[in-house]
Amino acid sequence: MKTSILTLALFISWVSLAFANDPAYEKAMLTQLENLKSANSKTEYQAAANAFERIGNMNTDAWHPPYYTALAYTQMAMRAEGSMKEKDALLDKAMEHVKKAADISPSNSEIVAMEGYVIMAKLSADPGSRGQSLSPIVLQTFGKAMGLDKTNPRAMALMAQMENGMAQFFGQGPEKACRLAKTSLELFDKESETTLSNTLNPTWGRELAEGLEKSC
Amino acid sequence: MKTLIFNSILFLLLPFFTNGQTQLTGMVKTSYGETVPGVSVFLKGTYDGTTTDVDGKFAFETQETGLQILAFQAMGFKSQELSINLNESAPSFSIILKESINELTAVTISAGAMEASDEKKAVVLRPLDIVTTPSAMGDIIGAFQTLPGTSTVGNDGRLFVRGGDASETAIFIDGMKVGNAFGTTANNVPTRTRFNPNLFKGSFFSTGGYSAEYGQALSSALALQTIDLPLRNQGDISLMSVGMGYTQTLAGEKSSLTASANFMDLSPYQALIKQNFDWERSPYSWDAEVSARRKWGKNGMVKAYLHTEAGGMQLWQPQPGQEGRGQMITIHNRYTFAQTSFRQSGKKDWNYYGGISYSDNSDKINLNTIDVKQRNRLIHGKIVGVKGFSDRFSIKNGLETFTHNYVEHLVEEGLSRSYLDQQVNIFTETDYYFSSKMVFRGGLRSGYSSLAGEGWLDPRVSLAYKLENEGQFSFAAGTFSQLPLEQQRVINPELGNTKASHLILNYFISKSGRTFRAEAFHKDYKQLVTFEGLPQAALNLRQDGAGYAGGMDVFYRDRKTIKNTDFWITYSYVNSRRQFAHFSTKVQPGFAPVHNGSVVVKHFIPKLQSQLGTSSSFNDGYTFTDLNHPGEMNSKTKSFQDLSISWSYLPKPNLIIHLACSNVLGRNNIFGHQFTQEPNEAGQFESLPIRQGAPRFLFLGIFLTLSKDKTANQLNNL
Repeated sequence: MKTSILTLALFISWVSLAFANDPAYEKAMLTQLENLKSANSKTEYQAAANAFERIGNMNTDAWHPPYYTALAYTQMAMRAEGSMKEKDALLDKAMEHVKKAADISPSNSEIVAMEGYVIMAKLSADPGSRGQSLSPIVLQTFGKAMGLDKTNPRAMALMAQMENGMAQFFGQGPEKACRLAKTSLELFDKESETTLSNTLNPTWGRELAEGLEKSC
Repeated sequence: MKTLIFNSILFLLLPFFTNGQTQLTGMVKTSYGETVPGVSVFLKGTYDGTTTDVDGKFAFETQETGLQILAFQAMGFKSQELSINLNESAPSFSIILKESINELTAVTISAGAMEASDEKKAVVLRPLDIVTTPSAMGDIIGAFQTLPGTSTVGNDGRLFVRGGDASETAIFIDGMKVGNAFGTTANNVPTRTRFNPNLFKGSFFSTGGYSAEYGQALSSALALQTIDLPLRNQGDISLMSVGMGYTQTLAGEKSSLTASANFMDLSPYQALIKQNFDWERSPYSWDAEVSARRKWGKNGMVKAYLHTEAGGMQLWQPQPGQEGRGQMITIHNRYTFAQTSFRQSGKKDWNYYGGISYSDNSDKINLNTIDVKQRNRLIHGKIVGVKGFSDRFSIKNGLETFTHNYVEHLVEEGLSRSYLDQQVNIFTETDYYFSSKMVFRGGLRSGYSSLAGEGWLDPRVSLAYKLENEGQFSFAAGTFSQLPLEQQRVINPELGNTKASHLILNYFISKSGRTFRAEAFHKDYKQLVTFEGLPQAALNLRQDGAGYAGGMDVFYRDRKTIKNTDFWITYSYVNSRRQFAHFSTKVQPGFAPVHNGSVVVKHFIPKLQSQLGTSSSFNDGYTFTDLNHPGEMNSKTKSFQDLSISWSYLPKPNLIIHLACSNVLGRNNIFGHQFTQEPNEAGQFESLPIRQGAPRFLFLGIFLTLSKDKTANQLNNL
């Protein structure tokens, strides 16, 4: 009897390890990651953000839900055609979730890169007047993310995009941005070799680097 | 034991046995009946939920049973929860969400106010504009002179707002009052602010109807906010045609320290370029600054700032009816401003801020053979608590004290006089949002001065209403008190407050890169100081002066229509008459031209890595009294016109070369005429025009930033 209890206990703990504590969590996250990937309209982004927020409320010690909530809001703002006020409201929401994620998992390169992405989105809502005050903060944040994890392809791809924007503004060549984009693509390759297809960890961002590299 | 195992297995398999799915449907609307898309609808404590579609409808299934909580959450609305019983049949819900008041989308009070900020809305200027406006020549006030409601008075340099004189504008740094914010200068020689524009991240400039938080200003309040934490360690070198400076910044995660030293001397410049003024010793000065900032807990911040400087000048001022170089005036100035301020948020939606500041200004002035020494000291203490009762309703309460000490000496005669005044102010102000479209603000400011033996009470109200098209109307009214100038109070300590009342109606709209602002105002003055004789030797000081200023101004700014180009156009109309100073009738003051305008254009050329700027200002001329004709303020000068251009070149991200020139066209602007006090033998009063210091002012600056971060630059220094 005792052995069977032990077996059961072992079985249960194996199950929970394999499914990251909670199969429902895992399943919900994977569904929403698909939804976010295919999101195209404001409503779809909002639906994904809402869903991630709901999952986050159920799993207050996991950093992935607030991270993806932030990503959904940021992408929504980047694509929104609305007024600057609207974009700012979305990005404030995104930043709120970045902070939540950072509280759960401090010094996480992905979350720091996300923070930089949000600030960069704020900058691009009004580059003429925000560029001067925000661009150093963006560069510093991406730099920090790259320092925390040298193999984070998103931090490098975002940095490439920022460098590209700056180079255009100052009328300089895109060499530095191209170099970064190329390196980030190598990192993306490495990442896709080593990660499982059903990971909750971030894998997005390849298109950014590819888009940039094409213009090189 | 067996039961336990059985139970666990049953528990694990439970989901497969239950098949009772319930469908929840419904619709979400606002209180105005509009449908709300994007609302998160879910059963609390479960994964079950969805988002409302474009028509505000939702539908989702759940396997939960029994009593549950259905929650609704959306941006811009208050969350709502509903207790429901899933055992009952096919529930459908119709929900009305209440809007929440969000700082970003709600109406703001814009009557009288012009903000410069990167973050906020209802903004007229960006902090960067303050330093890139060509006519400003790096002076903070220079940029504000291109805004509506102001007049350029070229022989003074200070800020003149809506028919008010320069003393009617109070200047605050991080909420603390700054005494003698402008450098000491000779009559008809324009001055500048003492503070480096680099220090500030934003500003709030009000041309009337401002909050009960600000007092002792009849016309205008200018509140400057210093930057919080700088980003990185860096050294900034500036080399200019008029001097040089170095700033070192040490930045940490939670604290920072900045120290700078600057030196300025116009001698080499004025030796090269011909001046109208007859300088014996060109203006010179040095200053040193230290500023420290530290985060206090999660939301709090403590700042300390010290600025100290010394400078002087010596020039000959020709006198009407006299041969030769005229009168010689020598000025030595010594100035210190120190302050520390804090802000912190407490529990239960309380926020606190406050601080203490000390201003100390000493002047030694020699006019011909008369030696005068003046010393003006001000200590300001302030503590404010703001309590938010809900997103609609908040109350601000504050306590302030001022200690004001003024001394003047006539050195040779061994005469001196002085006064000490203690003031206490209490203010309270409440903000109430009827909805995100309408807000009311009511405030009351009280004060007591020990020297004047006078207490006062100033009520202020404002109301703003936002229209469907994002535009908004604001209205503001209130009374304002200000004690007279030091030089007058020292002669007659019993002088009480001068008074003004404001009425303002404002329309403001800012949409996709374009901003339009129009404002009409009326201002009444009472108890203005009048006297007999000259201002320097006033007799019979009393408070029977009065007057008014009324008018309107418009502002249009566009950053969208022309690519890489940002421009703004300002026009202000002021009709002002007042009896004050030595005037025995109501006159149009010499500092209040009727028509005032300016156009500022900035164009960025990426290929040349350059920004080109021009600003032009004009007004219809300054009134003056021509003693050869009867009456006071019976004449007017020709119109004032200035065209300034600038070129900023950024060859590398950390290097900026800035070239600017004022009055490119070399127009000979006249600000008034100075008359002899006695008529000559022919019975005529002879006169001399009051002119500019030079036909043009040329400025060349090279700004280099040394930092590990190669993208750092000193754009702020321009």
